[in-house]
Amino acid sequence: MAGDGYTQQPNYPITPSPNRPTTPAPIGAVMVVGGGIAGIQASLDLAEAGFKVYLVETKSAIGGHMAQLDKTFPTNDCAMCTISPKLVEAGRHLNIEILVDTEVLDVKGQAGNFTATLRRKPRYVDLTKCVGCGDCEKVCPIVLPDSFNEGLSKRRAIYRLYPQAIPSAYAIEKRGISPCRDACPVNTRAQGYIALVREGRYEDALRVIKEENPFPGICGRICNHRCETACNRGLVDEPIAIKDLKRFIVDQVYAKPRPRVEPVPRTRPERVAIIGAGPCGLTAAMDLVKQGYGVTVFEALPVAGGMLRVGVPEYRLPSWIVDREVQDIIDLGVELRLNTPVTNLDDLFKEGFNAVLIAVGAHEGKKLRIPGVDLDGVMVNTIFLRDTRLGNPPDIRGRTVLVLGGGNVAMDVARTAVRLGAKKVKLACLETREKMPAHPWEIEEAEEEGVEIFPARSFTRILDDGNGRVAGVECVNVKFMEFDSEGRLNLETFEGSEHVIPCDTVIFSIGQAAGLAFIPPDTGVGTTRRGTVAVNPNTLAATRPGVFAAGDVATGTAFVIEAVAAGHRAAESIHLYLQGKPLERPPRALELPVVKLTRAEINQRIEKGEIKPQPRVKMAALDPATRVRTFEEVARGYTEEEARAEAARCLACGICSECLSCYYACGTKAILHDQVERIEEVQVGAVILAPGYEVYHAELSEEFGFGRFPNVVTSLQFERLLSASGPTHGHVQRPSDNQPAKKIAFLQCIGSRDQKHDYCSAVCCMYAAKEAMIAKEHLPGTEIHIFMMDARAFSKGYEEYYRRAQERYGVKYTRCRVSSLKENPANGNLIVRYQAEGGKTNGSSTLVEEEFDLVVLSVGMEISPQVRELGAKLGVQLDDFGFCKTIPFRPLETSRPGIFAAGPFVEPKDIPESVVDASGAAASAEALLAQVRGALARHKEYPPERDVRGEPPRVGVFICHCGSNIGGYIDVPAVTEYARTLPNVVYAENNLYTCSQDSIARITEKVKEQNLNRVVVASCTPRTHEPLFQDSIRAAGLNPYLFEMANIRNQCSWVHSHDRETATQKAKDLVRMSVARVSRLEPLYKIEMPLEHSALVIGGGLAGMTAALNLAQQGFPVHLVEQSARLGGGLASLSAYYAHTDEDWGAHVRDLIARVNAHPLIHVHRETRLVETSGFVGNFASRLRNASGQEQTVKHGVIIIATGAQEWRGEAYGLGQDARVVTQREFAERLTQWEAAPATAPSSVVFIQCVGPAEKYCGRLCCTESLENALRLKKLNPRAQVTILTKDIRTYGFRERVYNAARAAGVVIVRYDEAHVPMVETGQSSAVGGQRSTLSVRVWEPVLREELVLQPDVVVVAAPLTPRADARELAGILKVPVDMDGWFLEAHVKLRPVDFATEGIFVAGAAHYPKFPREAIAQAQAAAARAATILAKEKLHAGGVVAQVDASKCTGCLTCVRICPYHVPRIDATRVAVGGIYGAAYIEAAACQGCGTCAAECPAKAIQLLHYRDDQVLAKVQALFTQPDLIPLAAVEVR
Amino acid sequence: MSNNNGFEPQITAFGCIYCGYMAADTAGTLGWEYPANVKYVKLPCTGKIDVRYILSAFEQGADGVYVVACPLGNCHHVKGNERGKKRVERAKKILDEIGIGGERLEIFFMSGGQGKTFAAAAETMVERIKKLGPSPVKRKV
Repeated sequence: MAGDGYTQQPNYPITPSPNRPTTPAPIGAVMVVGGGIAGIQASLDLAEAGFKVYLVETKSAIGGHMAQLDKTFPTNDCAMCTISPKLVEAGRHLNIEILVDTEVLDVKGQAGNFTATLRRKPRYVDLTKCVGCGDCEKVCPIVLPDSFNEGLSKRRAIYRLYPQAIPSAYAIEKRGISPCRDACPVNTRAQGYIALVREGRYEDALRVIKEENPFPGICGRICNHRCETACNRGLVDEPIAIKDLKRFIVDQVYAKPRPRVEPVPRTRPERVAIIGAGPCGLTAAMDLVKQGYGVTVFEALPVAGGMLRVGVPEYRLPSWIVDREVQDIIDLGVELRLNTPVTNLDDLFKEGFNAVLIAVGAHEGKKLRIPGVDLDGVMVNTIFLRDTRLGNPPDIRGRTVLVLGGGNVAMDVARTAVRLGAKKVKLACLETREKMPAHPWEIEEAEEEGVEIFPARSFTRILDDGNGRVAGVECVNVKFMEFDSEGRLNLETFEGSEHVIPCDTVIFSIGQAAGLAFIPPDTGVGTTRRGTVAVNPNTLAATRPGVFAAGDVATGTAFVIEAVAAGHRAAESIHLYLQGKPLERPPRALELPVVKLTRAEINQRIEKGEIKPQPRVKMAALDPATRVRTFEEVARGYTEEEARAEAARCLACGICSECLSCYYACGTKAILHDQVERIEEVQVGAVILAPGYEVYHAELSEEFGFGRFPNVVTSLQFERLLSASGPTHGHVQRPSDNQPAKKIAFLQCIGSRDQKHDYCSAVCCMYAAKEAMIAKEHLPGTEIHIFMMDARAFSKGYEEYYRRAQERYGVKYTRCRVSSLKENPANGNLIVRYQAEGGKTNGSSTLVEEEFDLVVLSVGMEISPQVRELGAKLGVQLDDFGFCKTIPFRPLETSRPGIFAAGPFVEPKDIPESVVDASGAAASAEALLAQVRGALARHKEYPPERDVRGEPPRVGVFICHCGSNIGGYIDVPAVTEYARTLPNVVYAENNLYTCSQDSIARITEKVKEQNLNRVVVASCTPRTHEPLFQDSIRAAGLNPYLFEMANIRNQCSWVHSHDRETATQKAKDLVRMSVARVSRLEPLYKIEMPLEHSALVIGGGLAGMTAALNLAQQGFPVHLVEQSARLGGGLASLSAYYAHTDEDWGAHVRDLIARVNAHPLIHVHRETRLVETSGFVGNFASRLRNASGQEQTVKHGVIIIATGAQEWRGEAYGLGQDARVVTQREFAERLTQWEAAPATAPSSVVFIQCVGPAEKYCGRLCCTESLENALRLKKLNPRAQVTILTKDIRTYGFRERVYNAARAAGVVIVRYDEAHVPMVETGQSSAVGGQRSTLSVRVWEPVLREELVLQPDVVVVAAPLTPRADARELAGILKVPVDMDGWFLEAHVKLRPVDFATEGIFVAGAAHYPKFPREAIAQAQAAAARAATILAKEKLHAGGVVAQVDASKCTGCLTCVRICPYHVPRIDATRVAVGGIYGAAYIEAAACQGCGTCAAECPAKAIQLLHYRDDQVLAKVQALFTQPDLIPLAAVEVR
Repeated sequence: MSNNNGFEPQITAFGCIYCGYMAADTAGTLGWEYPANVKYVKLPCTGKIDVRYILSAFEQGADGVYVVACPLGNCHHVKGNERGKKRVERAKKILDEIGIGGERLEIFFMSGGQGKTFAAAAETMVERIKKLGPSPVKRKV
């Protein structure tokens, strides 16, 4: 794997090296794309078969859609229970590298040797450090819809996809930089502190502001807040009042006593002098002191704070705020020298300063050069304001004041003059009213206070009253004015407009400049014509080395936030300078984009109700009448309620706000906010694409109201509502009012089988039945009505399930598409209008309206745009819908060799078929890469194990705080102390996170150091963490079974969080129990056993041959047993069987036979039967008998059953009695004859479906075959009348297209129900060409409500496949089960579809259930892949938690033999049982699954389950109780 | 709540490492609080539950015992939960016969996702045993 750190790899796109050989050696690794159940299964099979796997997933965790499901049909297993062990297994497999947050960009090369280019998106959390404790999630203030719960609940920006997610590490969702942050010169994380205000966390909010800005109180009052101008909320109504919220935070926090600021230790020898204690200089001082430098600030004035303290009037910025924020900086360890003007720069260097920052600001006010400026009563702004602020205001009481200037400072001057008691205050400026530089609100406030404004004036002179005092200012009216880029004024005035504004005091407020007298030219510090210090704008370095300048002195007057930004930048440059590093920094790479919401997106969010238009909350202000008399602050601040309401308006544009709450909360320092995207390459020999599906976007079918009506939900949302760990904890509540939904409608085929989708999604009928039943189980009495076209219950157990929904649960089904759906505005109910079934007696349709609490849209499967893009990038052919096209007869191969496909990406399908595909695709990759199997597989090396038998127990106990998860609710040190007192415990310690990498290493270390021979970890759940800890003790040479976990988190701190004392006591109890058990545990060893690296495949049809050929290609010898004289099975005799899809299966089978016969590793046994099999996984021995009675015993490691099925032959509808009544297969053969002589084809045919056993289980193939055959006939004779009599048309998946084609060709479908089965009358004559009129079919037509009588030439009885007659016999020989109908029964319907519960035996093809040839091939390959996971091992590892028989206690009673679900125990005639009788039970360790049922059941107690021996279990039970003096139950006779 | 003068029963829960243990984990993850009186003893499968384990728990001082198993029909070891159920029924009879009372023993079936059901089972048992009072084995001390 290229690049382990987060270094960038910009070498994309990759050009192949010219030296690379043209035909490189294959690579023993496979990339699996998609972390759903198919991807997981493929990865596990490949890894177990000796290949390195890269499992690539775009999301932050694997699990796919299956993890979202509540239950799975048709067994109603909990989806999470079944998938969770697979997740854990994939997560910890040594040879599976899970690459989450990763996209595939490109795959170059060819089969056997590909280079895949991957985009590793930043997760912002270090996967190797995050322990998943969730402390970060608790402090994240950003709330957003939870995609895993389909938007029905909220989650935080830092999240785990779902509680059981693998990897269990958290991830942060970022969309980009919020515009408020982007607009701020210091990039204040405004979105973050706003969210924290909403949560009422004001201290945290202040911390967020102070990340960048040391002056929150100041900026909360006087910042020019360009963040608000940028705010996206402005697109909705008004921007968020960001400045006001900032002020609110400060008000809240500063109302409390100021916490002590700890000085930062001085760690560096260098000293820095800063001239000027304004915001720029102080910011730089803070940064440099924090870096460890010595910093001295020189300030000419008697106070620090610069303009903030002496320029901004008190009524806008109270002095105490400035003083406090300055003090917070000084207390960090800055030396502040007040009243200390710097007169000579060189003196500073002489004093020993290594660098100087000039940040003197612009404190010298300017006057115009006009006559009269030296008159009495003429002042300048800076002195006027400074004197006022320092408590020495000029006496202007009763005066008429004219302020010259139109900027913000001029407003400050005018309003200060008002407060100082001037009789009248006027203000005149060059600019027009509209163009005045002051903020409009400030002009308004000034006018409210009585300031009279004279805009658009130019001043020509100041008039003398004759006594040397001002009498007025002569002005002319301005026609046009503009400052050019150099700052020069272009002015045009109206001639003859001279007039005088009378006044006795004039205050100039036309700008300020810096006083630079202390840097005469000979100091080497250059200045500009504008009176600023000349600096490099990037580095702020002045022309003399070691001198820097920043703030107003370098840029001219600007706002305080710019001074802060400049201070940061100057400090950074000074640091680089002092470290001797280049000052120019490279630009930061790959910054996130600034989030600009579009109008369309805003509208969409408003429509969804996520945004409610609401203007900003106004802050209260002192009324004008009061404020003219006082310097009291004008703006009054928000109340808490106002502030939180205002904060709630934030749109959280960036998603994560980078408020750093998570960073501070994380105890393992796993948060990496600066992570960037990386491009990486992996080398693989093959690729498996299993990217899965997305559900149809139901809002596109507007007529069903999804997205508009809250009580219309998708089936996936409903699945979440049903889930016990979902948003409503399993209560089916309506989104609109959280009331229980008591009447629910399901609308089927939403996004399937419609005008835009010519396919069936294959799963919706069954999941609707499942969801309906589960909903009724949750709330009995719930009425459920499912509206559908056909019930596609086509697979094993589905028909029974569908019937159960109706018969046992009373789910109502109506066959129709609903004609409309509307909302009842009164109660949020939904009114469904549909056509009732059956119609009225007069035959006219009946439209019915029915009201429901909730409507569920059964949404179909689609391929996402991202997956389509992936297909295009990889050059694999997709169909119009984005589904992957596969090679005919190779259903798992894409158009590009070496790239395979599995799951719904190929065709809509359910979980077991996706799992079959996945294993099958793995088999294809394994065959391709067989020669490099094991080349890249890793094996963990451990030190030799220490023999601890005979040693007294020395137990070490490690107790985890789990951040605050345990430590917050349990007194962990007390538990540790307690653990030390327990018998056998020689060592105990507690860790912040016991599962962190350093703690894991520490356990290993402590085992060695303390010579421990048993270990207990008290932390979380062994389901995920036990292997990790076992590994740590194994690394210390201790047997991994000498370990026990006490789950003091899930079973204690999390569920008794209200009572620390009780929880602590229980934690002690749990630790005591674990110590008691671990003391009795003993090492267990896996023994190596030989393994026969060959397979026995029973059945030489399509499935058997496919499986045999794949295994042979993988390098494993195969015995292929076929009872007939030739290979080929059911397909051998047929040609052109699937005409519609142009698949000549006969030809394929003939080709396959040739390849099987030619393969040197396949030994075909024709006319041979299996007589007996003995042994167990890896070591079977089978006796085969051929036609001549000769017997042979073969040894093999695995068995694949592929014995197929047979066409049902029974008496129905005149089958076998009339030559015109034929089976499907007979009809297909006749079609071949008619195709040779079209004139002989019949002109009228009736097909009858659901015949014989297919009344009980669905024949799966019959509908499609009938439609295929009907189409073949229509092709021969387009005018032929073809009628299909059926209960449902079950053309699932792409077979729907055959149905569409047949309907287009005029094939008539007539539905019948069980009460009205068709009748066939064959009359007297049975000879073809006899009296034709005697063949008739009667059927009840439910829509017309009348009986139809058809008189066809031929009746086709769609006889289904049935299990072979000898299936039960074979099942008996192999001790594997068959179901009620006689089909072989797999280990688990969902996740082990080709395995048997008995290890080493697999099933494929129609022996399992009727299968289309493509399905049979996939399943055969899957069986081969599963078999290869065993055969690929060098040796068999047996033992561990297995049952053992003590023969001396065994009575040979057969109880264990009878009850073992895996048929493992047997009576071994060579073992001596009780009483010296030969024949004790024996349990083969290699086959035992460790459930312990036999041990519990054994009447003689002759069986013990290792690791769960009775004494080991009872030790735990006994340790639970502390009362020693109980009455013994010894007298009680238990059995 | 308690009508037994603050009597806090000691309850032992046995369960499998599949659904039962996972349900307990889920209860924790979702923060479904339940009384701390319950301590869980894990077994590989509820098919391993032994009448002797149950009786031993009572003998050691348990006031109540229950078993948490996978839903019927969904056992990871095919029928372990059904066999466990039968043994619980047998143990109830024995408890009745020896005067401890079969109602102090129960079996619950739940899937791994049903954290709330796990918490509810704990509450049910604690409430029930509080009403029944301390185990008669203890009372004779």
